[in-house]
Amino acid sequence: MSKRLETELYKAATLTFEEMGFLLPTPEIGEQQLNAQVEAMVSVEFKGPFSGKLLVRVCGGLLPILAANMLGEEETPPINLQYDALGEIANVICGNILPCIAGSRELFCVSTPKMVESIDLPPVAEIQVGLGLGRADLLLFISNHAVHAE
Amino acid sequence: MAFNILVVDDSSVMRMIIIKTLRLSKLPLGEISEAANGQEALEVLAGKWIDLVLVDINMPVMDGEEMINRLRENPATADLPILIVSTEGSETRKERLVQKRVGFIHKPFTPESLRFAIFKMLGGLDEQKTGN
Repeated sequence: MSKRLETELYKAATLTFEEMGFLLPTPEIGEQQLNAQVEAMVSVEFKGPFSGKLLVRVCGGLLPILAANMLGEEETPPINLQYDALGEIANVICGNILPCIAGSRELFCVSTPKMVESIDLPPVAEIQVGLGLGRADLLLFISNHAVHAE
Repeated sequence: MAFNILVVDDSSVMRMIIIKTLRLSKLPLGEISEAANGQEALEVLAGKWIDLVLVDINMPVMDGEEMINRLRENPATADLPILIVSTEGSETRKERLVQKRVGFIHKPFTPESLRFAIFKMLGGLDEQKTGN
């Protein structure tokens, strides 16, 4: 695992959850957050000087809260909008992390987010963000990049 | 004068966020149209008068950059105000897009920053026009 990548991933994730989801990260992750059930997992793939994907997994009741906050709604949005909201969060985090890894001159094509049910490869960076009573896990997978050697 | 605005993004949630921000912006709004990709946006533009386009870059079917190229090639839309709302972090692509006379706002954005970018794009509307 790359410490630098994890630091950058945490910064991009917390900024996105704060500004788009109006959710502030908890300073530590407690027992309840750690044991929270997985609700949904979304993946965003990217291709450029190297390829890979960012996976975002939310747990413990975060999914409807995130969507409602993003839309400024008091009522729980329909499930398709909840998934779409999570996809957009993943898309924004991915778009913000890529220049930190590759430098700001490189071009990437970022695909449309898609819901996934399992994880296949070992990630090069993995972080957890405590949010309310739940948590978000972010896993970054990269192929053909020097970051593996860090 | 009321502005007809087209919001182009493959995320329906992002379109809803942008439209909500527009409605809260006190801009004199006319009709707000939506499209999920560049191709759909070109079809909307072929049938309606639009004053401002807000567009994402990474989209399926036709991405935002290709859509902008098509609009700039067409004399009828060559000067249409376009504001890119995207996570795009590549300076190379941003420089290329700025040459096509577009504005740029980075996601995540705050409602205030989006509002400011739109006002700037529409030529700095004064307070009287926007009711502030």
